[in-house]
Amino acid sequence: MSWVVWRQHRAQAAIAAALLAAFAALILVTGVQVASQWHSALAACSASRSCGNLSGTLFLGSHAIGFLVIMTLGVPAVLGMLLGAPLLAHEFETGTSQYAWTQTVTRRRWLVARTGWLLLAAAAVGGVVSGLVTWWSGPDNGLQADAFKPGRFDIMGIVPVGYAVFAVALGIAAGALLRRTLPAIGITLAGFIAVRLVIFSGLRAHFLAPVTTYFPLGGGFTPAGSAWQLATGFVGANGQPISIPQSTNGPVLGVGLAGLPVSSLPVPCQTAGHGYLPAIASCAQAHGIRGYVTYQPAGRYWAFQGIETGIFVLLAAALVAVTFAVITRRDA
Amino acid sequence: MTWLIWRQYRASGAITAALLAAFAAAILADGFQIASHWHSILLACAGNSVCLQQEPSPVNGVVSDLPYLSLIVPVVLGILWGAPLVAHEFETRTTDFAWAQTVTRTRWLAVKVGWLLLAGAACGGVIGALTTWWSGPTNAQLASAFDPGQFDTQGIVPIGYAVFAMALGIAAGTLARRTLPAIAVALGGFIALRLVIADLLRPHYLAAVTTYYNVTGSFGPSGQAWVLSQGAVSRTGQVVPEGWGSLYAALPASCRQLLPSGPTAGKSASLSAVFSCMQAHGWRGFVTYQPASRYWPFQGIETGIYVLLAAALIAVTFVIVNRRDA
Repeated sequence: MSWVVWRQHRAQAAIAAALLAAFAALILVTGVQVASQWHSALAACSASRSCGNLSGTLFLGSHAIGFLVIMTLGVPAVLGMLLGAPLLAHEFETGTSQYAWTQTVTRRRWLVARTGWLLLAAAAVGGVVSGLVTWWSGPDNGLQADAFKPGRFDIMGIVPVGYAVFAVALGIAAGALLRRTLPAIGITLAGFIAVRLVIFSGLRAHFLAPVTTYFPLGGGFTPAGSAWQLATGFVGANGQPISIPQSTNGPVLGVGLAGLPVSSLPVPCQTAGHGYLPAIASCAQAHGIRGYVTYQPAGRYWAFQGIETGIFVLLAAALVAVTFAVITRRDA
Repeated sequence: MTWLIWRQYRASGAITAALLAAFAAAILADGFQIASHWHSILLACAGNSVCLQQEPSPVNGVVSDLPYLSLIVPVVLGILWGAPLVAHEFETRTTDFAWAQTVTRTRWLAVKVGWLLLAGAACGGVIGALTTWWSGPTNAQLASAFDPGQFDTQGIVPIGYAVFAMALGIAAGTLARRTLPAIAVALGGFIALRLVIADLLRPHYLAAVTTYYNVTGSFGPSGQAWVLSQGAVSRTGQVVPEGWGSLYAALPASCRQLLPSGPTAGKSASLSAVFSCMQAHGWRGFVTYQPASRYWPFQGIETGIYVLLAAALIAVTFVIVNRRDA
């Protein structure tokens, strides 16, 4: 059976290998440039002792390659549409399943060989692309500490492998159920985007209970390393959130995003010390008002990668099980 | 023929209409929220432009990703409508039947391609219009409508992209005569061409404007201009891009000494001394940009390029279909 699978997919395999090689060449060449740019910038900024504002002034790589790297988000969907969806649907459309199923090879073995090799290939492509992108993004992660942020998390580490396996399994299952290639392609694309969006924006922040750190008024707090910051604001003594108006022209405690307008404080504090800000701050502190940052610590990065990959692999396993049930129960 | 097209595409037409309606509902619901939020910000800031820019963006939530998803709508149309248009007929041999009727091949192709391109353009137009309306507050706050990524989802360019992606799918299907390879070619070709045009060609549609200014002062082009590059240029014409990393090495030694000794200590005071020193050594700041007033000319040029490419691909399709043996 493996020989049949190879004969059926060797053209696709050759094209995929050529595209991967071109991508790898591009990423390796520009990645070496980015790394040397990063090292010379680090050397220059430590000479001028201005490394603190490097993340605001340095841009690594080029827009085109940066865009290409972000576009690897689409690789799993393409694999699902072009490899997964036609796998069974095309056999049904051309009637070749009738021939395949009347051989000595059982349907189950036929399906195991075909889905097994394809899922393995999808995982390999996802892993290679992700490995290249992770390596290329190393200096950028060092500069921006954003590896945990939505969008960056999704193209690095092991999650792209999970996405690729899921997308291909979705394509195979859609093809087995619909038995026509084009609708299966449409369902694969829409289903993949929908599942990704739901987990990305609804579930991921809650894989583990986020950590909340409180800081005194006038101060501030930034989680260490490439943490994923979820929310920031101010709370009163009992933990009730303090509403901050969209804008104010009045005095503010603290600066920037960590600033708390005086008009948001309890009324007695607003006039404390006749408008002397330190007096207002100590009054607010006496009322138990403090700032907070809710975040996922940088140490959880690989735990989150593991959880997200696990979810997609489990979904893929469920879809493959559905495919087996549909195919083995179907009349030839 | 038109009746035949309707029969062939009524199912996918109904699905597309349902998806478009869902997209419109999500965008409208979110857009009204953003608009009312934006109006309260406008009232609170009362015309203070610094206040406006410091406000957190009124956009957040899942729906804020939808306008970016609309970037892939043209290629989806090209894959699901364009590529199978002729290729699927070849694959299932329905061309043998269609071409043996009284309707000529040219008319058969003209009606099919015409209606489908019209539908593609309508989809692109509806999504472009919804996204443009939705992006209004963001455009007003950040003046970013001309920036790559924003420019590509708004105005009339989505129509050009949709027509081109469809034409590419149709031509690829006619040449390859098989649906799946045609889908792959349409996908790869569309993405490659979009990247090349957006990254290499678009900045040069019209010659960019460069403004020089005193390094002790500052300059920003007005409105939603598209800044291509900025930085400093020395008396001898040495150009240094934005950022201290590159500037430090290029500075005259006498100016370098004035740089702040600590990463944060007394930044503003010492930096202004560095700027005065640079000024004395003949350095100037520069901004190269496309002015905001060129937004619609650029939209027109980009749309024109894609419509012309689509026309060329359609012409190729007609030549191939007419010359082919039945």
